[in-house]
Amino acid sequence: MKLKILWMYHDLMDLYGDKGNIEVLRRRAEKRGIECVVDTCTLDEKKEIQDYDLFFLGGGADREQQLIFRDLLGRRDGIAAAMDSGTAFLLICGGYQLFGQYYKDQDGNVLESLGFFDYYTVASDRDHRCIGNIALEAAIDGDTFMMVGFENHGGQTMNVQTPLGRVLSGHGNMYRSEFEGFLNDQVVATYMHGPLLPKNPAVADKILMRALKRNYGEVQLAKLDDTLEDKAREVMLKRLKVI
Amino acid sequence: MDIRLKIVQWSHRLLQRAGRGGSFPGVLALKMDPQFISRFHMPETVILVTGTNGKTTTNNLIAESLRAAGIKTINNRRGDNLNVGIASLLAANSDGSFNIQADAAVIEVDELTLYRQFANLHPTHLIVNNFFRDQLDRAGEMETIIRRIQEVTENFEGHIILNGDDPNVIRIADSAKKAKIHFFSVAENPISRKTTDEASEGKFCPRCGRPLVYDYYQYSHIGRFHCDHDGFGNIEPDVLVTDVDYDKEQFTVEGRQFHSFMNTIYGVYNCAGCLTVMKTLGVDPAASDEVFANFIIKEGRNELFQLSQPCVINLIKNPTGANEVMKYITAQKGDRNLCIFLNDNDQDGHDVSWIWDAHFERLNVPEIKTIVCSGLRAYDMALRLKYEGLEDRVKVIEEDTAAVHWLNEQNMPSYIMATYTALHRTRAILRKEEKK
Repeated sequence: MKLKILWMYHDLMDLYGDKGNIEVLRRRAEKRGIECVVDTCTLDEKKEIQDYDLFFLGGGADREQQLIFRDLLGRRDGIAAAMDSGTAFLLICGGYQLFGQYYKDQDGNVLESLGFFDYYTVASDRDHRCIGNIALEAAIDGDTFMMVGFENHGGQTMNVQTPLGRVLSGHGNMYRSEFEGFLNDQVVATYMHGPLLPKNPAVADKILMRALKRNYGEVQLAKLDDTLEDKAREVMLKRLKVI
Repeated sequence: MDIRLKIVQWSHRLLQRAGRGGSFPGVLALKMDPQFISRFHMPETVILVTGTNGKTTTNNLIAESLRAAGIKTINNRRGDNLNVGIASLLAANSDGSFNIQADAAVIEVDELTLYRQFANLHPTHLIVNNFFRDQLDRAGEMETIIRRIQEVTENFEGHIILNGDDPNVIRIADSAKKAKIHFFSVAENPISRKTTDEASEGKFCPRCGRPLVYDYYQYSHIGRFHCDHDGFGNIEPDVLVTDVDYDKEQFTVEGRQFHSFMNTIYGVYNCAGCLTVMKTLGVDPAASDEVFANFIIKEGRNELFQLSQPCVINLIKNPTGANEVMKYITAQKGDRNLCIFLNDNDQDGHDVSWIWDAHFERLNVPEIKTIVCSGLRAYDMALRLKYEGLEDRVKVIEEDTAAVHWLNEQNMPSYIMATYTALHRTRAILRKEEKK
């Protein structure tokens, strides 16, 4: 089997160790004997997005996010074609926001986003920034598990019909909110850094299965030794007093 | 005489007599009087040291140089660079009427809070080392830090000493129009590279947004760069370090040889910053060379402990610093063990994701036998190393005393990397373990 990953704006949207997610996907695929190709794509670079099984977009600082904004909107048709072709999406923080309707900054300026989903994001004042460790209970493709991560976002994302999970500790989509992220059949979108996948290997496997589905249908993945992964997650879940 | 000042000074002396330092006097002072720091009559020369990495080393090199030149100098040598630490320093070195009893003060100031204390400290000099990504949960984005420093230096008329090889730092020269600007720079040398996998900043010209062109990189985004379009980066350094020789542990400035303090590229930059300050003050650089040759910085910057075998401890707090420490550790000879203490307390930053931005693959050399992971986030560290194929050499010992004891028992040279709050605890444990 072969898996093709497109890592968008790897040189600009690479805050908070988000690149670790790519390493996790690659390693967990290769451990199962799946050949894994990771291509990067930056500003003005031509890439056929629908040729890829998995689309990854991480978070960036405000300045970087402004730099990629126009370029990303110019790729809307390609992204839509990829969605139609069954590509899986992992979107973190800024990447998550950019797939919604719009982002309204602190001065009230509205930046139209890709508009694939109904949610939208409004900048918060300084007192309502969501920072800290976070734990969720999430159900992805029929399995329920606890996830841990680190959130650090000013934007308050509203009107999410299908969140990724229920917040056990932390803020989530809005300051002190009940739910975190966005989930549908193809897209996992979240504010969780950490990076997200190393300590949440079950989520990584779900994303791999979604990506493989495009060419190979329902795939079963062999179990891996996740002792360190589980231990690192457990330390945080205990710290947050959710187990 | 101010009674509140007296109380703070008494508490400082009591603590000192009990063999303890710490920031309690400063906490007390600021609780009684939030304006405490602004009350002091500062000495003629006040040098503020800020930036992301190397503040404590640079601060000590400058202060020791001034002392070697016979100038009575105070400094916060341990790196207590927040309000409480600075308040403690000033109170401890003042008479009863807020007069600082020294001719010069060299003060390390946290880059995040500099903008609040700048005017209160009446600086004559500001030196800025570098800006790297650091503890984003605490620091916010680098843009904010730079913008705030630009704001408080806009009307500053004193001396600003800048690392001319950091595109983030020299932005201050564009905005501080009234200050006397001095740059330091380090010429191409054996460690310089044409390309890099370390730089996450400095990709674009802050004036026009076009990509910056690098002639060479030293480490991270530090190097010689310019913008083809508007000339950003074409600086004329006041101090240019040439002929860096890592075998002879020396470098040259204007034809004069100097001992290379710490003998690393970041150490050379700290020396260059110090020499630039000396130049603006008209102090003989011979004083600095004496310090570079003989001064030993404790506080966990390449600090040596004698366990059953030598053990060297270093502070790590962000990807750039950790990368440089790992280069140093892997350049050493012979079999050795390693121990990494990863904490996530307030002063460390709660977010440990930065370990994924650091190049831990460098530790994959056969002479590194075991890597002990310890501290509050020991398992996060172990997991990071697993992704560099180091799983078989990783050993998790969460408890710090047990981790140090294990290193001592192995009878093998060892290296420790520790985040801020782990550093001081670990040094205390090492001192005890030395006596066993």
